[in-house]
Amino acid sequence: MDQARPGRDILDRALRASWIAALALAAAVAPGRPLDAAAILAGQLLAFLHFIFLRKIVKLFTEGGRDPRLALAIGAKVVLVYGGLAGLITLGGVRYVPLCVGFALPFLTLFLKSIMLALGAGPASLTARRATETARSFGNAAKPAVFLLLLGAATLLAFSALPGAALADEAAHGAPAAQEATAAHGDATHHAEEGAAELPNWLVILHDFNPGNPLVSWLEKNQVIVFAWIAGLLFLLVSWLAMRKPKMVPGPFQNGVEWMVESMEEVCGGLLGPQIDKHFPLIGALFFYILTINMLGIIPGMKSATSSLDLTLALALITFLYVQFWGIRNLGILGYLDHLAGSPRDAIGWAMLPVMLPVHILGELAKPVSLSCRLFGNIFGEDTLIVVFVGATALLIKASLVALAVPPMAGITALFMMLQTLTSIVQALIFSLLATVYLYMMLPHEAHAHEEAHETH
Amino acid sequence: MLFPAALGLGLPLGIGLAAIGSGIGIGFLGKGAMEAMGRQPEILPKLQVAMIIGFGFAEALTIYAFVTMFFLQGRIG
Repeated sequence: MDQARPGRDILDRALRASWIAALALAAAVAPGRPLDAAAILAGQLLAFLHFIFLRKIVKLFTEGGRDPRLALAIGAKVVLVYGGLAGLITLGGVRYVPLCVGFALPFLTLFLKSIMLALGAGPASLTARRATETARSFGNAAKPAVFLLLLGAATLLAFSALPGAALADEAAHGAPAAQEATAAHGDATHHAEEGAAELPNWLVILHDFNPGNPLVSWLEKNQVIVFAWIAGLLFLLVSWLAMRKPKMVPGPFQNGVEWMVESMEEVCGGLLGPQIDKHFPLIGALFFYILTINMLGIIPGMKSATSSLDLTLALALITFLYVQFWGIRNLGILGYLDHLAGSPRDAIGWAMLPVMLPVHILGELAKPVSLSCRLFGNIFGEDTLIVVFVGATALLIKASLVALAVPPMAGITALFMMLQTLTSIVQALIFSLLATVYLYMMLPHEAHAHEEAHETH
Repeated sequence: MLFPAALGLGLPLGIGLAAIGSGIGIGFLGKGAMEAMGRQPEILPKLQVAMIIGFGFAEALTIYAFVTMFFLQGRIG
């Protein structure tokens, strides 16, 4: 069936991708400029209609004959798409740029899809998947998980844009002197918070060269999200490349990715038992996402987004909500409360209830805090360590001791970068393993009583 | 004693003390894991997972001190 209508398959995929892109774009600009977001969506809708009608027209035309529906479709397309465009433009208030961006999105995605097709990622290979069961289910399930993570990052972005917009409005209305004072103050605190302890990444460098550019300064302010997005896209790209043409006898790349996924599942499955199938998508996605983010920091000019507490806290909160959700789902509301109360079964248990309940609730609440602080502290600490050594090298260079300073310092920095690689892997592993352990504590223990079920309680 | 001076003395000291505790904990964990590995090499994968989780918990204590240092560092002045 894939050979029958290859074009339609590509068109569907491209349109779906363009809808996702348009929604993300609209969500990103919505808090500041709702009209622009609406314009993007309107443009996307018009282009979508354009493609839908075009497909219908081509189908009717190639099927031959003088079908009256052909004229009807052409007429409807002209009226809806071109009339809609003309109407929106003459309406006033709608800006051209977001409208054109929205209208161009489906064309762009279709173009990209065509390039991919030309490069060998045909729709047949996209749909007919014959991978090992694990890799396939992970590949399928990880995509929505990563998409959710990306969506979360987009929401963060939208919210972080809010105070900036408010500040800009305030500054525009206020006196120039006050404006300068706020700007200087904001700059100073900004640099005191971040500039001291980090190597400059390419966004900071870009910002230094284009201090006035609003887009660049906006990106520089939200660099954590930018780098998290880069890592997420990298992750998606690698998983897509590996599972693009899955074979029974995998090539080296697919084999490597499958090996990573399977060994991770083995490690988590040793803790969680057969229930791992249900929960591995999130745990595996967390592991590989955090690993990608951590590893990104080793590349010069890049930054690991996990060296910001915001991102690690978001990840830990996702884990926390997931664990609580499955706890309630598996134990029932009453069982969940019973679990929180420490499962009182005798008089002493009931007597201890007023003590045990707050202790258990505090223990649950401490989990996301410890998860996020551990990841943040480790990655941030490693980054700071390297900054200290690079800073010492820079100081010695300033004192014109280049020949003396650079070789040993470069060696030490390289050693710490190796250590950073190790930390990246171990911290990603610890994060996902602890998520697994927290999940294991919440799941009913009768299901795998043969194991050391009493160890955790 | 002045607050900045107390911070300047206390923060590094606090990290050092926390590191002593974590080090002892990780040392015990590693010792136990090594002995168990020597006795029963066949449980290596399971043991490694448990060991790494234990390391994570023990190490977290120093990380808390570390994070506290970063939050208070700016107030040393």
